[in-house]
Amino acid sequence: MKMKSVHHPELSIRIGKMELKNPVIVASGTFGYGQEFENFMDLSQLGAIIPKGISLNPMQGNPPPRIFETNGGILNSIGLQNPGLQVFIKEKLPYLKKIKTNLIINFFGKTQAEYVELARRLDSLDGISGLEMNISCPNVKQGGIIFGSDSKMTYRLVSEVKKSIRRPLIVKLSPNVTDITVIARSAEEGGADAVSLINTFKAMAINIHTKKPELGNVTGGLSGPAIKPIALRMVWEVSRAVKIPVIGMGGIMKAEDAIEFMLAGASAIQIGTANLIRPMTGIEVINGIKKYLIQTKMDQIQSLIGFFKA
Amino acid sequence: MALQTDGIVLNNRKIKSIYFLLEIDCPAIANEAKPGQFVMISTSDNHHPLLRRPFSIYKSYSTLHPSKEKRGQLSILYKKVGKGTQKMSTFKEGQKVNLIGPLGNGFILPPLPSPAATILIGGGVGMASLSALGEALCSEKIYVFIGGKTKDDILCEDDFPKGKVFIATEDGSLGKKGTVVDLFLSEIERFDRGRPHHVYICGPEGMVKSLSKALKSKKWIIQVSLEARMGCGFGACWGCVVKTRDTEMAYRRVCKDGPVFPLSEIVWESS
Repeated sequence: MKMKSVHHPELSIRIGKMELKNPVIVASGTFGYGQEFENFMDLSQLGAIIPKGISLNPMQGNPPPRIFETNGGILNSIGLQNPGLQVFIKEKLPYLKKIKTNLIINFFGKTQAEYVELARRLDSLDGISGLEMNISCPNVKQGGIIFGSDSKMTYRLVSEVKKSIRRPLIVKLSPNVTDITVIARSAEEGGADAVSLINTFKAMAINIHTKKPELGNVTGGLSGPAIKPIALRMVWEVSRAVKIPVIGMGGIMKAEDAIEFMLAGASAIQIGTANLIRPMTGIEVINGIKKYLIQTKMDQIQSLIGFFKA
Repeated sequence: MALQTDGIVLNNRKIKSIYFLLEIDCPAIANEAKPGQFVMISTSDNHHPLLRRPFSIYKSYSTLHPSKEKRGQLSILYKKVGKGTQKMSTFKEGQKVNLIGPLGNGFILPPLPSPAATILIGGGVGMASLSALGEALCSEKIYVFIGGKTKDDILCEDDFPKGKVFIATEDGSLGKKGTVVDLFLSEIERFDRGRPHHVYICGPEGMVKSLSKALKSKKWIIQVSLEARMGCGFGACWGCVVKTRDTEMAYRRVCKDGPVFPLSEIVWESS
């Protein structure tokens, strides 16, 4: 039994079959493939690392400009650039496996069959704790409707993927929907071990001097402090709608933000945009959560989760 | 190896018109900096603006530098153009400034000895990294071409004691009237056709594109330092890409795979 006390609070949490040493996870798309951060911090201190999302085949990504700073946020239209599964296994995975913490692989596809095939192949690899499925992608077999915007498509996708793998499956939800609790429930019914939310909001900006959109792709995803209040509300709603663990993200820049998400019901949190600005944010948040637990005389993180029950 | 660290502002002053020089005590980065590398500077601590801003490292003095007072210092030349640089212009002596660096690949120096010429072509704050390069060069045949809209945009003209400096301003207020590209082309006959001269370019996109066209047929060794809007600046987010001729992955990161690229590798998109 782990010794916990108000002076050494217990930070570990469970997500499905995954045991995380603390609830701080770094989000896909903001942490490269890990090595970019090795000089800034001890990566093994993080609860889990989710590298940049992988597709079966390489993807070139969108034309630049891919980034635009807004008030308190970033617009990005990276376009899921990645070298594809083969190159990922050969060139990126070996380094990632050496880091002594949970490795969760984010993946996506263009059709349900592609998602299933990729999930199967990832599931067969060593050194991976779990998979995170990005469902904010268009289903090219259904006229480009975003998987995560349709509850039936989400249910079918999750259940087919879940059938083909043994590892824990986290489903990453899109906020660009009418009612995110409906999608979350579909994911749960399909067998998801957890849901992570939120992905970025669809947004844009226009340059009034060139009279053109700021992003090469016209629209992109908004992230950062600006979206936190909406992300928080969605995490609160979803944690009341499902029984599976909820991983919260959206504008978390410091420990206080992470604690808000946990009070709203998140069992763990992800840090995204903040990694671009202060690479060591993950470590700072872990230390800040510890300090808060000590100050409020809580001996374990579980006491925080869903504390606010309206 | 890039690191995140605090530096102390030693001096922050306007040089001319909207150009400023920021001198920082930061031995950790100054010791590692190579010509052509840059730093990501945090210009606020309240998320306004949110992202760090990239700046070429102008001068850097290692802790072993002969000049004792300069040891551990690095400096940035910047143009006050937006939210980040506006904030930077208010930095006070003695205040802490958080930096990530040194970042990027830097220039590849010409091999020694070389009968070929070393040619530097730049404009505006692009001159900062060329100046850093100039200090590292040992060649005897250094030619520097500096351009700008007016004399107020000509920077670093006194930084090249070893070289022959040519200046062009579009309004003719200093040096030859016209663009730096026209000036360079008017002097191109100086450079022996037979030799693979080393060219280093750093400046506004328009200038780089024109030079790219003009030097297309030359068998010279041409390196260009690019600018791009950046997210993280250290290769994690894939926001700052440029299109290259690479067949496997055409979009390369300016912050990590660059900012210096062989000119022939760049694919110029028509805008």
